[in-house]
Amino acid sequence: MLVLKNWDINLRSREKKTLRSFLFLYAFLTLLILAFVAFLYYGLERDLMLQNQRETLSNLTNEQIARLKSLHVNLGKEQTYPRDERFNSAIYDSSLKQIFSTLGTHKVNLYEDIYLKADRIYFIKELESYYLGARYIVLEVPAPPTWSEKVFRKLLGYGALIFSILVVIGYFLLGLLLRPMKETIALLDRFIKDTTHELNTPVNAILSNIEMMDLHTLDETVSKKIKRITIASKTISNLYDDLTYLVLSHKILSQDETIDLKVLLEERLEYFSLLFESKKIQLSYSLEEGIYLTIDRKKMTKLIDNILSNAIKYNKMGGMIEVVLSPQSITIKDSGRGIDKNQIDQAFERYTRFDRSVGGFGIGLSIVASIAKEYALHVKLDSVLHEGTTVRISW
Amino acid sequence: MVKKVLIFTLVISCLGAKTGVYEKNCIPCHEDMAVKIDKFFYRYLLKYSSEMEVKNAMTKYLKNPKAENSILVDGLINRFGVKKKTTLRDTELQEALDTYWDQYQVFDKLK
Repeated sequence: MLVLKNWDINLRSREKKTLRSFLFLYAFLTLLILAFVAFLYYGLERDLMLQNQRETLSNLTNEQIARLKSLHVNLGKEQTYPRDERFNSAIYDSSLKQIFSTLGTHKVNLYEDIYLKADRIYFIKELESYYLGARYIVLEVPAPPTWSEKVFRKLLGYGALIFSILVVIGYFLLGLLLRPMKETIALLDRFIKDTTHELNTPVNAILSNIEMMDLHTLDETVSKKIKRITIASKTISNLYDDLTYLVLSHKILSQDETIDLKVLLEERLEYFSLLFESKKIQLSYSLEEGIYLTIDRKKMTKLIDNILSNAIKYNKMGGMIEVVLSPQSITIKDSGRGIDKNQIDQAFERYTRFDRSVGGFGIGLSIVASIAKEYALHVKLDSVLHEGTTVRISW
Repeated sequence: MVKKVLIFTLVISCLGAKTGVYEKNCIPCHEDMAVKIDKFFYRYLLKYSSEMEVKNAMTKYLKNPKAENSILVDGLINRFGVKKKTTLRDTELQEALDTYWDQYQVFDKLK
């Protein structure tokens, strides 16, 4: 049994998308709640400040009313509206028509008692005797200068603190949410790891023993059977290689060398020849000479093997495969069942399989993508459902 | 020459004549009173505030003058009594009150 240390769990893009959506929603809701609480807090602070100002403003209003009274009595002789440098004021009759105003605004809410608008406090009082016909008197004073600054500083401080706490809670919440998913992926990975380990010895034993056999000395029926065993063993061996790469890829150091791609492709086509034969696949290839690439041989082999293996696996009986090597690319075209257009983007994700009628773990193209990424190779997948797939590796 | 002087005098007197309902029907009586007409206005203003309410209150009193709905304090009512009911038609009364309001309202007068 292998130990699961240093085991990286790669979340697939759809899962990452879900996580991003969750985080966005969580942050949005958190900010919404915080904004609501901040709104309430601001309202409370504002009311408290206005309450503190109320007595002073009431006294100032009484002073102004006394002046209005004096003016009313002497109206024939005096017509100057009383002014005070401590405040602006206005008077309104019972139909809310403005009689006189020194306010900075014309829009005053006479139905309020006291309110704050644009950093100014408005205090409204109803007169008992309507001097000069005034039923309402409005006083306008500037709000305490540092008041709003203090409130916003407090709001920002507390807001940031609460938001940070909620983010930490969200992080743990996310951990809880992800645990079952992580456990499932870990289980699958552990299973593959264990299977890989157990596959190695028997597959090697079969292949080496077959190689030691002299097929010419055997009769045709037995030779045919041996060929089938070889194909099956190579399939298992291929799968073993894939799984090994998957499990140990982060521990394998690349040993880059200059590779003649024509030679490598011919070697791989030869390796799969029995498989082509078994499915009666018509192979055509055009390989240009003198095309070299500096890459790890094992990884390039793995890349080609996976594409060829898929081309065979998903091909129909008697289908065709075309391999083209040009100075800038390798193209492998098959006449298989193809992939739906909407699913092409998911084809490179680990454990993604579109056709469960054939064997496999859905890791082939994931490995191709991983190797291509390491060597900055471009992988282009074109597919038409029920017609075939073309994979083009360019550099 | 005498004819010319007579015509001139007639024109001048016509120009200076009190032509409005207010001037003809309100001023003459109030002129002789101890409490001047502006003081009545300011008392109404003190109690009723807006133009409409002041005019409504005045109309109500002039059509049915009683000590209870007079704007004057009891002492003055006892001393001068309650006026007679108006003989003006509604339109004339409205015109007189409009003139009265325009003359003493404070909206355009405060500085």
